[in-house]
Amino acid sequence: MASEGEISLLVVVVDVNPIWWGQHAQSEPEFTLSKCLDAVMVMGNAHMAMTRTNQLAVIAAHCQDSHFLYPSKRLKGNDDTSSSRDGKYELLSVTNNLIAEEIRDIMSKTELTGNSTDTLLAGSLAKALCYINRISKEVGVAQEIKSRILVIKAADDCALQYMNFMNVIFAAQKQNILIDACVLDSDSGLLQQACDITGGLYLKIPQKVALAQYLLWVFLPDSEQRSLLVLPPPAHVDYRAACFCHRTLIEIGYVCSVCLSIFCNFSPICTTCETAFKIQLPQMVKPKKKKPKLPA
Amino acid sequence: MASLSEEVLLVVKKVRQKKQDGTLYLMAERIAWGPEGKDRFTVSHSYSDIRCQKISPDGKAKVQLQLVLHTGESTTFHFANESTSRKDWEAAKELLQQLLPKFKKKANKELEEKNKMLQEDPVLFQLYKDLVVSQVISAEEFWANRLGGINNGESAACENKQEVGISGAFLADIRPQTDGCNGLRYNLTADIIESIFRTYPAVKQKYKENVPHNLTEKEFWTRFFQSHYFHRDRISTGTQDIFSECARQDEKGLKSLVTQGVKNPMVDLLSLEDKTLDEGYGISSALPSTSHASRTVKESSNFAIIKRFNHHSAMVLAAGSRKRDVPADQASETSSTDGNSRDSDFFQPPLKKVKLQEAIEYEDLQQENRPKTVALNLKKSDRYAHGPVPLQSQQYTTSQDIINSVNYIKHEMSNYKPNLTQVLSSAAASSAIAALSPGGVLMQQVAQQAINQMVPTEIQAELKHLYVAAGELLRHFWTCFPVNTAFLEEKVTKMKSNLERFQITKLRPFQEKIQRQYLSTNLTGHLECMLQAAYSKFHIWQTRRMMRKT
Repeated sequence: MASEGEISLLVVVVDVNPIWWGQHAQSEPEFTLSKCLDAVMVMGNAHMAMTRTNQLAVIAAHCQDSHFLYPSKRLKGNDDTSSSRDGKYELLSVTNNLIAEEIRDIMSKTELTGNSTDTLLAGSLAKALCYINRISKEVGVAQEIKSRILVIKAADDCALQYMNFMNVIFAAQKQNILIDACVLDSDSGLLQQACDITGGLYLKIPQKVALAQYLLWVFLPDSEQRSLLVLPPPAHVDYRAACFCHRTLIEIGYVCSVCLSIFCNFSPICTTCETAFKIQLPQMVKPKKKKPKLPA
Repeated sequence: MASLSEEVLLVVKKVRQKKQDGTLYLMAERIAWGPEGKDRFTVSHSYSDIRCQKISPDGKAKVQLQLVLHTGESTTFHFANESTSRKDWEAAKELLQQLLPKFKKKANKELEEKNKMLQEDPVLFQLYKDLVVSQVISAEEFWANRLGGINNGESAACENKQEVGISGAFLADIRPQTDGCNGLRYNLTADIIESIFRTYPAVKQKYKENVPHNLTEKEFWTRFFQSHYFHRDRISTGTQDIFSECARQDEKGLKSLVTQGVKNPMVDLLSLEDKTLDEGYGISSALPSTSHASRTVKESSNFAIIKRFNHHSAMVLAAGSRKRDVPADQASETSSTDGNSRDSDFFQPPLKKVKLQEAIEYEDLQQENRPKTVALNLKKSDRYAHGPVPLQSQQYTTSQDIINSVNYIKHEMSNYKPNLTQVLSSAAASSAIAALSPGGVLMQQVAQQAINQMVPTEIQAELKHLYVAAGELLRHFWTCFPVNTAFLEEKVTKMKSNLERFQITKLRPFQEKIQRQYLSTNLTGHLECMLQAAYSKFHIWQTRRMMRKT
């Protein structure tokens, strides 16, 4: 258990890509974005209810931008929304209401620009890291704060975000922030790498309707408690590099010693930095010429 | 048979060995015995094999000499010559005593080194046990690579030993004690004698000249301590003391030291003067006299002592900085700090410049002389930004689809109210729990990872030893390629047979053992794979060799 006074901050990044959710909601009506958000709320409530000092943040990753669902700017607004009707812990009811309001707001403001259909996941992760950084500074030096990020991913990876993603992953690793991933649809190589590098858990869920159960079982305990539990083992991560000419994943290749670009075939000139290379061919052993014997 | 180039140091006739008469020959590197009348030697031992010699006690009638070898066996020689047996025996014993230590060190050092290595590294010890004791490879092969540095290491170790310096107070440490009857007892240890010789090479020279021809050691030292040379007040008049020459040499040395001066150009000794405020506190007009004649007796004796002390300190410093193994030949010494040798004035000017420069310039403030570098010229730098392309099929969405989806979701979320009591049905929850429990869908790999808990620790340890031994053999094997010399060819064939022997003697029993214990895991698959790769490489090499020959 967390020691007295230790703050545990959980940041949930929810992928609310409207295109993906819209498509899947039509094909699977029993699991919609509402259900997903309900499950996230349940987990958020559970996290905050565990200890008084636990903190929560929820970020929605959209294709246009990333938006904080909680804590939101509306917090400082009106006070009359906070009265709960069922005697719930007030913090929880405030949180839930805020999240609901914000997501309604975001979804109503969705506009189609037609350019990108990909979720801005790298940006959301960066925002999460900045938020964690801010909270740790606000809390002060004496207070210990442990943070982790949980990513609930729906849509596919975007190849254009690769560099940003990797930067975020390494920044998180430096700050000792775990990145967990709960993947709803298709496996994501980037998130697998993120979890492997930062020490988090990666899980692809077989049943979407039981999302809440998976969240509570696997992702609710923090890193100290995870060592005491039997959780799904880490998956094998494909760390193979992609060659620069064809973008295929290769196991053995050629690397230019000047610019470190990777190729699958040897070429005498590196196409990235235009350095010429020489390779020593194995020496050919010349067959000895036998002198013809002179007739005696 | 003794080779012609061997130098025979001593021949002793009528020496019996194993009840046979014969002759004992002591040569430069070995000792040999041949029976009478025959030309060849039946017994021959090189000095490095001999561990020690044993002699029969003086009183016994039989004069015997026993040689004990390192291996434990011993050979006894009986000096049977009636008249000269004692003398022969003594001569042989002395010679052996001188020769054995020379050779002893070398052999012992190797063995010691080997033992030390085995003791320090338990992995090496285990490897040794596995490979050499069980006769897979011979001991020479085992030590061949590891002892590469042993002969170099010896001299390196000697060089790394710190030299013992000379205590400045060694003369004072002698501490004469009164004998009770008007005599003095000086206790001289070997260390003190050595210090005296190192500091005052003149004394060493005298020692060499006179001992043991003219004087015994005791007499020499008695004279030394009696002479005025040793005493405080040196009156270097023309006495017939052997040490008066030393005194003269010392004077000369001191004078040369003074003329040499100090090497450091920044230090100006001459500006220091020993000014004492005599009577009158400096006001009285008595001129300080520096001439010898007007000196009082006390002043001159103080002067002499101080001179002695300075000289002594200079000699001690010089001896300390001189290297130990410089030959005692004084003519070859070129150190300029020694008071008895030449000066080296011509080194002075550049030294001053260097010192001045050091004092003026700072390295960090200089202009940086970085080596010239070539700038990196990237043409297509966006290649780095792209990650690997995912191999999943791209889903095509028409724009109509997109519009539909977005509208749908907008509609759905506009009426969103969190309904947290209906989030999870019990059926869904229980199936999720089942998937997450050990043995469930998501937990398949957990069972597989416990292999190190399934295999008992002794088997694991034995497997580790096998790997270490196999690794060693394979390393020997693979370093033979490319096979260029005849030695490597031989080695490669030998290593292949070693590998086969290893497989039969060690690997097979291990496999059978784990089979008997019903362990289904394939623990030795990788080892077999490595051995197989070595065999196939050998086979390829062999066929190529055949083809080249035909």
